[in-house]
Parts: sequence; structure tokens; C-alpha cells
Amino acid sequence: MKRKTQWLLSAVFLLIGFMVAVQFQTTSHETEMRDTRDVWEVREDLKIQQEHQQDLLEKIAGADQTIENYEKQSSSEQVETLKGSIETLEKKIGLQKKKGAGVELTIRPIFDEGVAGQAYPSVSPLLLSRLFNELNTYGAEDISIGNERLTNLSPVRDVNGATYVNNRPIGSLPLTIKVLAEDPEKLQDHMKASPTQDIFNIDNMEIVFEVKEQLVLPKYDNPLHLEILEEAGG
Amino acid sequence: MWLPLLFLIIGVTLGILTDIRIPDAYSDYLSIAVLAAFDTLLGGIRAQLEKTFDDTVFLTGFFFNITLAAMLAFLGVQLGVDLYLAAVFAFGVRLFRNLAIVRRIVIDQKLLTKFRKK
Repeated sequence: MKRKTQWLLSAVFLLIGFMVAVQFQTTSHETEMRDTRDVWEVREDLKIQQEHQQDLLEKIAGADQTIENYEKQSSSEQVETLKGSIETLEKKIGLQKKKGAGVELTIRPIFDEGVAGQAYPSVSPLLLSRLFNELNTYGAEDISIGNERLTNLSPVRDVNGATYVNNRPIGSLPLTIKVLAEDPEKLQDHMKASPTQDIFNIDNMEIVFEVKEQLVLPKYDNPLHLEILEEAGG
Repeated sequence: MWLPLLFLIIGVTLGILTDIRIPDAYSDYLSIAVLAAFDTLLGGIRAQLEKTFDDTVFLTGFFFNITLAAMLAFLGVQLGVDLYLAAVFAFGVRLFRNLAIVRRIVIDQKLLTKFRKK
């Protein structure tokens, strides 16, 4: 082989080697999922999972207790237990009135003095859904708006330009939203710092928060539409 | 023959040491280029064994194949057709054919001549 040919070949080989190495690196780094948590974060995650486990175990113990009660008791006592279970469940989904500590939100209109002929503001369903989502994120347990209790199936809709909750109009401002929470102060702080307030401000509305020791939430009084639900096996 | 091998090793080391990664959008081009390089390499070996090796043909083949494959892949991306698969297929088939020919020549030259001597 000539000297020149050899050098040319070597250059080609260098290029090939380089390309192969780069390709290898590109493909081998793609699948790598890096766990960047340090020991403390892992410990915290572990703690959260342990608490979750504890919670689940307690729930299982409670359910076991109920089953035991059914098996041991006479028929009249069984009916009592059943009624108790139904009441607990109704309270849980909002078919009963509920009292407790919470935050009362009042949505009020803001009027600019400079602007003439300003339209009276109203809450759009989008905005209301956002507010509810935010409340739920920050630990709200039960929510009612005006006289409507929010359940898991409550729709927030636009009907001919008016906002409907539970298929009834929520009416015009000011609106009162009652929220029960385990830690009302914290919920209030979270909500005060959230950007949702600014979005309400853009639409000429403001939210006023007030922590209250005693709040009474109305019950949901429509029939629940559960056609889509099916009985669990067993 | 040691010089190209040495440079191959240098190339691989350089590639690994520089820690270069190709973005996802261009990984198709690189994979096709690598395939074209392998194809040219095997073609060169085959030509050498058949004693028809020519460095100009080899060099132009190498760069021409890579450019054409990349252009085909580019065209495929623009048209929304996976044209680079066509290049992969073509190179793959050629790769195996060249490999088979190389194998046959090696066996013919080395093993069969030994058998015949016996």
C-alpha cells in the first residue's frame, strides 16, 4: 500500500471511530434516568410513604371493625350499624350539613372610578373551576358556593352566559364561598399568595378571606345521578 | 495495516473523551452516517481482497455515501416520509452482501487451499 493511501485510510478510520463513539454515547445516554434525590429527600419520601401506609392500615382496621360488628350483632343492631355507615358516607359526599372551622371567601366587584360605563363583573365557569381546584389543592375538605354544596359530581357550567353550579345559577356578585379545612389559617395563607387572585383582579373582582371558627355548609339536595357507577365485585 | 487501526482507536477515544452528544433531532443523520461508514469500510476490505482496491474510489465512495444518505434523510424529514429507513435498508443489505463475499474469499484463500494441500 502506498504511503499516501495509508494516511488517507487512517484519516477515514479516525472519522469512523469518532462517529461511532459519538453515536454510542448518544444512544447509551438516552435511556439513563438519573435519581438526583439526596439522602434527606429519600428519607422524606420514605416518611410520606410510611404515613400513607399507616393511614391505609387504619382504614383497613376500621373496615374490619365494621364487618365484625355486622357479624356479631343481632339484626336490630345490624340495622343501627348500617344506618351509622350510611350517615358517615352521606356526610363524606356532602348529602348532610356539615359544621366546622374554615375560611369564608367573598368575591366582590371592584369599580374603577375613572372608567365610565364599566360592565358589572361576573365569575366565569373557567375562573370558578380554577378557584375550586386551587382550594382543593391547598387542603379544602368541603366547599359550598352560595347555597350550593359542591360534591364530587357537581358541574360548573356556562348556561346562556350565566354560570351554573349543580344545574342552578350562582347569581350575581358578591358571592360567598365557604370552605372547610383542617387548617384554615394555612389555606388562607396559601390562597392569599396564589396568582388566582390576580386573575380575579383582571376581571374587576376581588376575593376577601375570613377565617371562621364556625361555618355551616348546606347539604346537597338533588338526587345523585349514579347511572354510570357499577357495583364492585364481591 | 497498523496505522489505520491506531487511528480508529484514537478516533473512538477522542469521541468518548469529548463527551459529545447529538440532539435527538439529528440522531437519524448520525446513525445513517455510521452505517454508511461501515458499508464503505466493508466494501474497501472486499475490494482489497479482490485486488481491485483504489483509494480514490474508496474515498469518494465514503464521503459520497454519507452525504447522499444524510440528504435522503433530510428530504424524508421535509416530506414527512421516513426515507432514512430506505437508506438503512440499502446499506444493511450491502453490508451483509459485502460481508458474505469477504467471508467467501477468506475461506477460499485460506482454508480451502490448506485442505487441497493435504
